[in-house]
Amino acid sequence: MSTPNTQASEERAIRVMVVDDHPMWRDAVARDLTESGFDVVATAGDGPGAVRRAHAAVPDVLVLDLNLPGMPGVQVCKELVGSQPGLRVLVLSASGEHADVLEAVKSGATGYLLKSASTQELTDAVRATAAGDPVFTPGLAGLVLGEYRRLASDPAPAAPDQPKVPQLTDRETEVLRLVAKGLSYKQIAERLVISHRTVQNHVQNTLGKLQLHNRVELVRYAIEAGLDDA
Amino acid sequence: MARRERVVRMSVEQPLWRALTAYRVLTLLYAVLLAGFGREKYERPWVALAFLAFLALWTLVTLPRVANAANCTKRFLGLDLTVALTGILLTPLADFDAQHMDGPTLPSIWTAGSVLAFALKGGWRWAAFASTLVAVANIIERGEPSRDTFHNVVLVWVASIAIGYVVEVARASERTLARALEIEAATRERERLARDIHDSVLQVLAMVQRRGTALGGEAAELGRMAGEQEVALRTLVSSGLVPTTRVSEDSAEGAVVRAVDTDEAESAESDLRSLLAPHAGSRVTFAEPGAPVLLPGEAARELAAAVSAALDNVRAHAGPDAHAWILVEDEPDDVVVTVRDDGPGIPEGRLIQAEGEGRLGVALSIRGRLRDLGGTAELISVPGQGTEVELKVPKVSRGKAGSAR
Repeated sequence: MSTPNTQASEERAIRVMVVDDHPMWRDAVARDLTESGFDVVATAGDGPGAVRRAHAAVPDVLVLDLNLPGMPGVQVCKELVGSQPGLRVLVLSASGEHADVLEAVKSGATGYLLKSASTQELTDAVRATAAGDPVFTPGLAGLVLGEYRRLASDPAPAAPDQPKVPQLTDRETEVLRLVAKGLSYKQIAERLVISHRTVQNHVQNTLGKLQLHNRVELVRYAIEAGLDDA
Repeated sequence: MARRERVVRMSVEQPLWRALTAYRVLTLLYAVLLAGFGREKYERPWVALAFLAFLALWTLVTLPRVANAANCTKRFLGLDLTVALTGILLTPLADFDAQHMDGPTLPSIWTAGSVLAFALKGGWRWAAFASTLVAVANIIERGEPSRDTFHNVVLVWVASIAIGYVVEVARASERTLARALEIEAATRERERLARDIHDSVLQVLAMVQRRGTALGGEAAELGRMAGEQEVALRTLVSSGLVPTTRVSEDSAEGAVVRAVDTDEAESAESDLRSLLAPHAGSRVTFAEPGAPVLLPGEAARELAAAVSAALDNVRAHAGPDAHAWILVEDEPDDVVVTVRDDGPGIPEGRLIQAEGEGRLGVALSIRGRLRDLGGTAELISVPGQGTEVELKVPKVSRGKAGSAR
């Protein structure tokens, strides 16, 4: 495979691309990341530009603002995650509007951070995202919990061929609730007497199921709308 | 990018005008056929023939006039009614028996089309005026208010007034709808603009916080203040603005919408999130499911008060620098709110001891509030991971609380 995998990125600097429409922010984030030893390979200030440059620069991590001119951040996320399997997306949002954040996470972003986060939190988050670990805020954990409950409370699928609604295991719910209550992965591991890695896996699974469900729903929608005939 | 919604204007009135056009043509044919089949009763057939020829010409030439309200001028309405009245009054000149026997007039039911045009154009008052004239003309034509004539007159009257009234109502509701669509489009546009502005303001506040903290000193204080405002604004926009209750004044004209204070109606449900969101700040993180968490108003207020008490407790026991997290969960049967702090926590033995001595004042008051709602409050403390208060309120609490009393 031509896309760099995460093992290789341990030896060399992590390639990061910063997408934000505010030059002030874009530069500050890019500078902070460069100072912390990341390789900022590209920046972009609008949606279409982000998609174009990401294809050329092939970054490991995309630090993405959701509110972009030209094309919403969620759309950028969808297009790039679809075409570059090795790419990880960390959403860095100012407003954290619930619908947008959930949509971004469903369409493949594995991390979410508010702009009010400190520089240290940002660099940690980029590093974790590059390693394939999910970056959650308590707020996002609350949203994801809410989303699963909404999916569960929707009426049962009428047709038998419809995809099953994703559900959390008891352990996953437990872990997600602890994240939402502000515990760190380390604290959660201590409390549940499991390894740090296991905690991360549980969190990752909660996202994975949502993303899978989202893809299945999209395909089903496409078939229903007759798009597959084209 | 800026998707503007086009206000779709659908007309309730237009189909009525089309129906009127068809009605005039069909009734013309009817009048001609009626006169044709009964031609032997006319003493002066040429009068009938001349009038019907003119009526046919008039109807066809004026078809565009009844295509819509704008073309249907007052002058046309007046002339049209004159034609109908003339036709009625000419009947005895063509058929000498008309004044002594009940029978059709020359224009027969074509007259109704003329009256309906008045109804469509000007509502029930104009319709009443036109049908009254037709009634008078009919009675003059018959010579006396015979039973059949009277019956027909009343029919035209009632029908035209009713249709005129319906048209007025339809016009009013159409205006209401158009206005509502306009307001909706304007609101959406304003929300779109607000989103962009909010986002920019949040960016700047976050940046001030970030740079201020890095610079230290007085700038750090500015940064802290910016941070507080950033949290407040973000909490407001991320969970959606709290919907205010609105009513429409003057339902006839409609869509004059204003916000009102709701009564503290017991049945009204309120969104728990809007009560808890103001707690969010630099030291309090608020996590919620991203959709309204509805509880009966009283239960929501009690629960919010319990959360405030729990946060006060955090300040008192874990210190002013402690961080607190609020998690709201909307389970199928109950609402769970957890307040956690990162203080030192309470050792296992101490908790039971303190409870035994009745020194858990705040915790007990929280428990009392929750018990009144039919819910529970649990205190969990893990050494090194702070203290958690888990408040659980069943969604059917009102019924339960009622029966418990």
